[in-house]
Amino acid sequence: MRTPSGIRTNGNGRLSLLGRQSPSWWRRRKAQEVIFKALMIFSLLLVVGCLALIVATIVWKGLPALKLSMIFQTPRGGYYLGKEGGILNAILGSLYLAGGATLLALLLSLPIVLYLNIYAGRNSRTAEFIRFSFDVLWGVPSIVYGAFGFLLMAFIGLRTSLLAGMITVAMLELPIMSRAMDEVVRLVSRDLTDAAYSLGATRFETAVKVVVRQTLPGILTAVLIAFGRGIGDAASVLFTAGFTDRVPTSLLQPAATLPLAIFFQLGTPFPEVRERAYASAAVLTILILAISLISRAAVRRYSRHTIR
Amino acid sequence: MRFRAPKNSFKAEKKANKALSHIAVNNIDRPDPQKTQKKRLVKDLAARRFMFGLTLLPGFLVFLILFGLLWKARAILAVKPLGRLLLSTTWKPSQGEFGMLPFLAGTLAVTVVAMVIAAPISLLAAVYLAEYAPRRMRNAVRPLIDLLAGLPSVVYGVWGVLMVVPLVERASRLFGTSSSGYSILAGGIVLAIMVFPTIIHVSLEVFSSVSRDLRDAALSLGATRWEVAKKVVLRKSSQGIVAAVVLGLSRAFGETMAVLMVVGNIPRVPKSLFDPGYPLPALLANNYGEMMSVPLYDSALMLAALVLLVVVLAFNVAARLFLSRVERRAT
Amino acid sequence: MIIQTAEIKGLKLSGRVAAKPLAAAFAARAALTVFLLISILAQALSGHTAAVGGDGEAAEAAFTVDARDAMERTGDEELRGTISLSGAWALYPMVVKWAEEFRKIHPGVRLDVQAGGAGKGIADALSGMVDIGMVSRDIHPEETARGAIALAVTKDGVVPTASRRNPYLKDLLRMGIGRSAFEGIFVTGRMKTWNDVLRNGARKEVHVFTRSDACGAAETWAAFLGKKQEDLLGIAVYGDPGLADAVIRDPLAVGFNNINFAYDAGTLKPVEGLVVIPVDLNGNGILDPGEKFYGSRDEITAAIERGAYPSPPARELYFVTKGKPVRPVVRKFLAWVLKEGQGFVREAGYIPLSAEKLKVSF
Repeated sequence: MRTPSGIRTNGNGRLSLLGRQSPSWWRRRKAQEVIFKALMIFSLLLVVGCLALIVATIVWKGLPALKLSMIFQTPRGGYYLGKEGGILNAILGSLYLAGGATLLALLLSLPIVLYLNIYAGRNSRTAEFIRFSFDVLWGVPSIVYGAFGFLLMAFIGLRTSLLAGMITVAMLELPIMSRAMDEVVRLVSRDLTDAAYSLGATRFETAVKVVVRQTLPGILTAVLIAFGRGIGDAASVLFTAGFTDRVPTSLLQPAATLPLAIFFQLGTPFPEVRERAYASAAVLTILILAISLISRAAVRRYSRHTIR
Repeated sequence: MRFRAPKNSFKAEKKANKALSHIAVNNIDRPDPQKTQKKRLVKDLAARRFMFGLTLLPGFLVFLILFGLLWKARAILAVKPLGRLLLSTTWKPSQGEFGMLPFLAGTLAVTVVAMVIAAPISLLAAVYLAEYAPRRMRNAVRPLIDLLAGLPSVVYGVWGVLMVVPLVERASRLFGTSSSGYSILAGGIVLAIMVFPTIIHVSLEVFSSVSRDLRDAALSLGATRWEVAKKVVLRKSSQGIVAAVVLGLSRAFGETMAVLMVVGNIPRVPKSLFDPGYPLPALLANNYGEMMSVPLYDSALMLAALVLLVVVLAFNVAARLFLSRVERRAT
Repeated sequence: MIIQTAEIKGLKLSGRVAAKPLAAAFAARAALTVFLLISILAQALSGHTAAVGGDGEAAEAAFTVDARDAMERTGDEELRGTISLSGAWALYPMVVKWAEEFRKIHPGVRLDVQAGGAGKGIADALSGMVDIGMVSRDIHPEETARGAIALAVTKDGVVPTASRRNPYLKDLLRMGIGRSAFEGIFVTGRMKTWNDVLRNGARKEVHVFTRSDACGAAETWAAFLGKKQEDLLGIAVYGDPGLADAVIRDPLAVGFNNINFAYDAGTLKPVEGLVVIPVDLNGNGILDPGEKFYGSRDEITAAIERGAYPSPPARELYFVTKGKPVRPVVRKFLAWVLKEGQGFVREAGYIPLSAEKLKVSF
């Protein structure tokens, strides 16, 4: 038996201290610890540093254009040519679209994940297959979802609209949300579910009244991650949600989205408008951060009811 | 397990009992447990059927996408043999040449570079956050990581053009070659940064599922924290780590906008890190609008999408096989 | 429910309650919900397609007309409706200007203008997603076969570009680059160093840039060189501004841009850091005074108008519709664009079409 502290048994099963505990051995272990700790800190700094760099770039380039009017006004004609206005259409459009898509994805994910973990048996082939499907769907590029959504729309006869965008983004978010939820629901301890069953609860009741309540923080986190991905994706909405200067008032109207607004503002020949693109990116970042913080607060509040 | 009863449960129950007390005089008047039981069973069965139906949807969706792509790709498959399409290096759609090898090579190159960069860095960072960092730091850094995941890819692309491309250009001069900076390396770097949050997030979840007892036991035997991380946590969660890396890989395969802005988009098989490349998603994004125009082009692009999907599928299958083998060895 | 109240009231039901009625109730509820959803969806979709009235040519139009258009009337004063356009960046500034001016005359008409590239414009127009696609290249025969009809509405051009930090700027601006030299740079790759191009002993390489997205500018530039976009060599960058930025940053770069992207809209001079490469049109190795018109946007547009700058790389810009346009709003708009609209073309930096091109009846 080998332990880190170097105590070993010799052939007769007796414990003995052998040459393992030479000073160089201690030094080597200590050196390893120090080196790897340094590497780890470096890695973490690299990751956080990249984030800081990207955010700093956005803010630095977008600051001249970041005005309150940008957030609260819709674009006047010629906005993309340098005239006044704001991106309220894109902000609200994105919120509606991502919100609706996340809701759709949630309505689909939650039952599926509950089924996979509570109803399906340990070695269920269906569960294996569906989890595999989710992994595959995860890897589908968002532009393929956009293309598929476009085909679907043409097939149904829908025009570019909020609804079409919602459906496409819901398809995009589904694997993300499901996987994140699955990870959390899997971890519910068997003791808990067994206790519920032993008290005579049906599996449905256990699912809804026990498991969901227990994993609510995890579910909220999954919803947040999916929402973040959905609101920031351009390729899937490029051909499905359309674009307009107005705030959509019905599901069948085209909707502007923030990533597309950024994309279009970046593509104009006017440098002031390109600055606005960075400002819009800053708005999107702040939006995601705000939603992240809100949901963390919500998670903490609901964590009170979980059993640790 | 710490059990916290919901607030006011006792008071609520008393109130309910009082309200019903004037109705239920004796046992006979309480709801018949038999009937309620049947109702609950029916609910359970109905819910089970309904959920099962929903559960089949993702599988159905995969088939639908595969089938849809195959259907649209059949036009070109009828004209050219698949082998020729996959192995030829000439891409000249208006002349009817649809060789996809450069794109396959580009996709693999960019993804491999991204994973080589991202996997070690993410794992190290995740280990630090899980094992070393004080809880406050961990709670502060986690939302930042999620923020990284939420940034739109257009922003990554623009930042990549601003910062990564000149960096690579300068680096190429150091290495003796001259590159414009738009290269596989630039694409790989940008992609790696986009993949960081995925791997870190999933790894953190996996690490947190390793029970404290194991860690404490190792520490009590005199292991250093790094040794605990290496020999206990990483080993115990190796499956989850592989899953995290595969997830990151899938994301890397599918990322479109950011990569296409920095990778150079030349349809030639890249021979070095500093060469430009042309991954499959970039091909789709660049040419999607043209699809309606030249019918063979249209189906060639759909074939490209199908090939990409098959590659992702293949990697996932391979990962699963690997995981199941690891699992079998462990048990 | 019935069962429970019966029990609470103290009645004891004899006999067993079969599970069937409950299941039936549940199923009925589910069916009702599904039915409601389907009816809502059907209503939304049916309200979406209205009969396309109009003359006999209506048979060709495959549009789904928006319910909002039910309010359309054909009189000049009461023109109402929404026209949706999408497509090329090259046309975007012009169409926005036209939209503004058209709204001044017909305040009841709304124009939704979206950019996204010429390819998107054609795709959207042919699939019925928008009324008019803005396209900055000639349409392919396959597109015509699918019903695309192109209407030339204005003209602009593509110019070759280099960086202001180019070490050989003086020679470049003095001599220009001829068409065959451009072919050597962009198509055959024969011209590898600046010496090949300028014959001044320069050892440095030429860094070629082109567009990665399928776009009108690249197609037009390639047409000037007798080829197609896919034949252009060089690092392919996404978008007009992206290409301009790449060229600005690399002193040895050669690229191309739409006029509106190469010249600053405010100062009318080339964008900061960018230089427009004069094209040596007669190929005599030096720029004659008659070939020098790249200093400002007005100069180059005037040159295109009088034909001094060839087409290609100057090119017509089109509105593409699927079949002949049927909706009165769209027809009125198109008619206006071809007449009064041309008056705004110059100030937006475009070139007005010659008179015969405008004689289109539809």
